[in-house]
Formats: sequence, structure tokens, C-alpha cells
Amino acid sequence: MVARANLSRRSLLAATGGAALALTPLACGGGNGGSGFAQASGDKVPDQYAKRTHVVVWHAYADIPGNALAALAKKFNESQQDVYVEVQFQGSYDETAQKVTAAVQAKKIPDLVTFSEVNWHNFYLNDLLEPLDAYFGSGLKKSDYNQKLLNEGVLKGKLWWLPLARSTPIMYFNKTLFHKAGLPTDRGPKDWDEWYGWTRQLKGIKVKGKQVRMEAYQKIDGDWQFQGSVWQWGGAYSNGLDVTIDQAPAVAAGEWQRKLIFTDKMAYMADSPSVDFQNQLIATLVTSTGGLRGITEAAQKGGWEVGTAFVPGKEKQVVPTGGGGFGILSYAPKDRKEAAWKFVEFVGKPENSAYWTVQTGYLPVIEAAKEQPDLKKLLADNPNFSTAVKQLDIVRKEDEVRLMVPNANILIYTGLQKIWTNNQPAQQVFTDVAGQIRKATDKVRKNIEKHV
Amino acid sequence: MAAVDARVDTGPRADGTRATPARRGRHRRHLREYLLFLAFIVPNFFFVLTFAYWPVVYNAYLSLTSWNMLAPVKDFVGLDNYVDLFTDPDFLGTLRVTVVFVVGIVVGSMVLGLAIAVLLNQKLVGRGFVRTMSFAPHILSGAAIGTIWLFIFDPNYGLVRPLFAAVGADSPNWMTSTTWALPGLIIVYLWKNMGFIATVYLAGLSNVPRELYEAAALDGSGAWTTFRKITFPMLSPVTFFLVITTTIGTFQAFDVLALMTAGGPGSSTTTLSWFIYQQAFKAFDAGHAAAGAMIMFVVLIIITALQARFLERKVHYR
Repeated sequence: MVARANLSRRSLLAATGGAALALTPLACGGGNGGSGFAQASGDKVPDQYAKRTHVVVWHAYADIPGNALAALAKKFNESQQDVYVEVQFQGSYDETAQKVTAAVQAKKIPDLVTFSEVNWHNFYLNDLLEPLDAYFGSGLKKSDYNQKLLNEGVLKGKLWWLPLARSTPIMYFNKTLFHKAGLPTDRGPKDWDEWYGWTRQLKGIKVKGKQVRMEAYQKIDGDWQFQGSVWQWGGAYSNGLDVTIDQAPAVAAGEWQRKLIFTDKMAYMADSPSVDFQNQLIATLVTSTGGLRGITEAAQKGGWEVGTAFVPGKEKQVVPTGGGGFGILSYAPKDRKEAAWKFVEFVGKPENSAYWTVQTGYLPVIEAAKEQPDLKKLLADNPNFSTAVKQLDIVRKEDEVRLMVPNANILIYTGLQKIWTNNQPAQQVFTDVAGQIRKATDKVRKNIEKHV
Repeated sequence: MAAVDARVDTGPRADGTRATPARRGRHRRHLREYLLFLAFIVPNFFFVLTFAYWPVVYNAYLSLTSWNMLAPVKDFVGLDNYVDLFTDPDFLGTLRVTVVFVVGIVVGSMVLGLAIAVLLNQKLVGRGFVRTMSFAPHILSGAAIGTIWLFIFDPNYGLVRPLFAAVGADSPNWMTSTTWALPGLIIVYLWKNMGFIATVYLAGLSNVPRELYEAAALDGSGAWTTFRKITFPMLSPVTFFLVITTTIGTFQAFDVLALMTAGGPGSSTTTLSWFIYQQAFKAFDAGHAAAGAMIMFVVLIIITALQARFLERKVHYR
């Protein structure tokens, strides 16, 4: 028994040592070493494309835009002999960014990713994006793009993020309900004060027995639209990295919405204001141009008419841009990065860019796309599709803290939820939010200042 | 032990003679048995170590760092993340929400589950069907449950709307109200849990000896006294098991919550598990997420130990 006990201890130590050695690679697994990145796995490559360079694209587009991107990939695969592009839907922009983060840790990455206007900064700040300037050539030139949108992907003089599904918020309105309320149906409100006057005329208008409200605020990510409101009231979330959301204009914009909800009872927070607009629970909606196609189809099915207008102004008339664009991960091997660029070039051809815009309602990011017959006809026949294009003149790049400070957008929309549902005074909420964002900013300030 | 040791071949003896062949054979058999033991235990040991204990150790390390999950370097910050959390009013609010969430669900599920079990233990028409139906929510996916209940709670089109309309009231904005979101979530988890708890209790009820009830009946015991003095004590091992597993499961509850409220509105349904997810995968702040996870780990160990200490004293094992 003694001998067995001795043997047991020795073996146990050996086994423990072996297990610890086996764990060593795991323990060293964090971060990136700069090499050894494999490609994210996908479906089996079809036999006819087996000899081509395989490019994996992770994207955030479901339904209509997802189908449009898949159609472009199919067309690309059939148009040439060298590259096979596989597009993989990964959920929302946030979910896609989470998966890319996990993929970097697992050293198994996609080649091309669609990042939101917020998410790409995090990957840039951690040196994971490829500068795109050197890829441009005769196939695709920087000058082909809308310069305002293109420049939003430029930092330190280099281009890191290329416009694809770009949008601005626009105001949608239900012409049928406006007509019932005796409101103009051929235009949107001149400014927020006129819009507020219209809420009074809408009182008493009911659909399926329910009072129609004037607008609803988006529970998750509603800070994007609210950023536009803060600008319209003359303020900003931040000036550079100096947080200003607790200043008077932002507070006034917050109080305006609180009054509409709790005093006038003409607005509320919703999981999906877009769905509520389609169900005629609200008469106006400020949301992305990317929803245009879906909303138009819903209106046709529901037997009512939709109109679009510029988002009204208050002190100023200005709106943020938003949406997604392409980024190439720097750790992908050179041949796959070059192959990925071939697909980017293909999507950037005027006819394909026009197809994308016609299908989705996103802005035409390639200037020449506007001259393509299909898009030209759509813009001429359906004025709703031209609203966003015209509104490009008053767009502004988003505030730096929302773009670059991790979690700032969540802190803001969580604060907004407290105003919208809990009737908390805007000053109280924004003082708290500003404090949290300043703390978060201090953690990343050095790195941001190094990269910007 | 001395007798056992005497049988072991310990090599040449002091007088120069060696162990007998019979003893060498025994030694080889013991060695074979030991190697067999190792062959069985090492793979399991390896996987438990790798997938259960190593993540805990690594998480503890991460909780002492500042890391955004992308940077190649993790900065060591000592206990700063813990200090941040315990001095952050929002995190203390998260702990409060977690306590209400867990207590509401555990107590509610146990009471409702036991009530259903006692009811279904009677000879009733359609008992088998009702048993199956009450268990069904337990095997549904969280995503399906979340989607169904979002529809049920919808203040405009939901199934609960007519119930409120019948008494002349509007349905609350369940999932977009800071007042109603947490009670709404608790209701959903009660619905999800109670069928499973009822099923386990039913199995326990079938093991209670009939003669105890016969003796109680002879003594003239009423239904409530019989339940209190016989049924409930005899179910105590089942209760002990269910309280511990439901508490741990509720602390970790995530799927339905993520789909229905995503921690909001505001922070009204931000439980510890949602907080950890949000810090890790929304804010990309691995340090605070890991610190939150360590706090949950320690809290669960303490709760389980306390339950084991105080509840097990009252457990009546047959």
C-alpha cells in the first residue's frame, strides 16, 4: 500500500505537469503575435470554384440588403476566374464586431468585414485594419466615391474604412394619416417647432381604436438619431474628446423628448419604431435611409402612402451619417487581401453600386451610380429615394467620443432610456452619463491621441 | 495497513533474499490496475482542468488586468477593477436587480412548482396531458420563449391586452417600462421553470410512503397539517436539490433576458450575467467583465455553501 501510495504521488505529479504543459499554449493565447492567422471556416467551396483564391466576407446585413450582397457576390463569382467570395451573415454590426474580436483571439479570421461607423475605430485603434490607399488603381479610384463619405474612413492621412451601406436619418411620414389630420402631405415640417404644432392636429386620429402618436424613440441604438437632435439644438456629444453631453443644448433636446412623452403623450420609446410606423402607430419616424425599401413595401401592403423629408432643424439643420463599410483585416495573407479587394472593386462599379442602392435604399456611395439608368429612374420616379441624396449637403461626421470611446454609445442610449421611460430629468441623466464617458475616455485617451 | 504493507514486494531484504514470485505477480497486478486507473482518469482530469478550472484561474488573472480583448498587451492593474465596481452606483444597482431577479424566480418557481406537483399528484382527469404541458416550457429554447412572450406582452397586439381591456385598463408597456420590465421577465422565467420543478417534485411525491399518510389519517390530521408535517419534510432532499440548482441557473440566466430586454430599459433588468456580457462584448472591457464574473463565482459559492449548511440540516433523508 505504501508503494502504491508513492507511485500514485509520482504519477499524479507527472500527470499534473503534463496537463499544465498542455495548458501552456492556452495561457499564452491572448493578444496577437502577428503571424499564424488562419482563415475563418465556411461552407465547402463549390467544385467549380475550388482552384480560386477563397475570400471570406463577414457582413451584418439580413433580409433585403443581405440578399442584395449575396446577389452581388454571386455575380462577382460568375464574372471572373480567380477569386471565390463567400459572404457570411454574422448578425448586427455589434455582433459582427464581437465575432471578429473572438476570431482575432482564435487566430481564425475573415478577410473582409463590414463594420459600422462606430465599430471600425476599435479595430483601427488596435492596429488590426489594413490601410486601403495602395489598393486603388485603374479599377477603382478614390475619386469615384462621394468624398464626404469616403473621408469618414480616413485617419492619419490613410484610408481604413470604405463606404458601402451608408445612410443618414431622414424623416418618414404617413401621408394618409397627415391627410386625415388636415396636415400638408406634399412636404415635411420646416422645423421642429412646426412639427410640434402638427402633433396637436394629430390628436384624436386613431387607427384600429388606438390614438396615433407623433413619433417613437428607438430603445437600442437610439443615440444615433438623438445625436442629430443634440446638433439641431446647437450642441454636441463632445468636442473632440471633451465630453459636452451634459451641456445646455443636449439637455434641452432631452427635455423636448421627455415633454413629448410624459406631458403631451404624443411619443414613446419602442423596441422597433420602424415596425410601429409600418403598423401606423406613429405618424412620423426618424430613421435610416436603409429602411426605405422595407417601409415602402409595408406601406403598399398596408394601403397607405409614405412620404420622406429632411430631418427638421431647430437652431441648426444638420444630420449625422451612419451605416457600414468595408474593412480588410491586416493579418489576412497578402493574396487574400488582394483577392478581397477585387470584390470591393466589383461592388464599387457604378452599375453594382446602383443595384445596391436601388435594392436597399442606402446612399449611392459611388457618384457615377446616380447616372445608372435604374437608379436614375428610381430617383426620378420616387422622390422618397432622392431625399437622402439631397440631404447629403447637411450631413456631419459623428462626434468623436461616440465613434472612438468603447461603450460611449451604450452609455448614452441607456441614459436616454431613463429619460424616455422613467421620466428622469435630462440634466440629471446626462450629468451621470457624461461622468461615465469621461472616465471611459481617460482610459483610451492616450491610444486615441496616438492614432488620430 | 501493516498487514497490507507486508504483502508488498519491497526489493531485496536485509538478509539478501528476494520477494517470492507470488508477491512480484501481485505487484504487477497492482501496477496494471493503477495504469488502468490513470487511463480512465487522465482524460477526464485533463478536460475538467482545461474547461472548468483553467477558465476560472485565467478569468481571475484577467480580472486583475485592463484589456480590450484586441490589444496584444494586458496591463496589470491589481484590484482596480474590483474597486471600480464596488464604488460604482450603477454596479451596486446591478447587484440589487440581481437579488430581486433571483429571489423572485427561485421562491416563485419553488412555490408554484410544488403547488402544481401537489395538484397533479391527485387523481384528476387529463392529468398526464397537463403534466406534459407544464413540462413543455422547460425544453423550449430561450429564443423561442423570448419571442413568444414579447408577443404576449406587446401592449398593442399582445395576448394580455384583452385581459386588461376586460377590466377597462390598458396593458402596461411591459418590456419598455422601467417599472414593468423586471416583473415581466420574472413572470417569463417562472413559466419556464415551474414545469421542471413540478416534475421533480412529482417524482419526490411518489416516494413518500403511503403508510405515513394512513397513520396521519388515523390520527385525524387535516390536509394542511399533513402537508406541513409529512409531505414537505419528506420532500426536503428534493427541495434542497432544486433550490441550489435553480439559484445557480437563475444567476446565470441570459438567453430570454438578452432577447426580451437586453438589460433595459435603462438598467432596470441589468443582472450580473448581463452586466458581464455587456462589459465583455459591448464595451470590450475584459477586466471589468472578468471582475464581475469573479464576483458572481464567489457569490454562488457562498450561497451554495450557506444553503448546504442551513438547508441540509433540515433535510430529511429516508
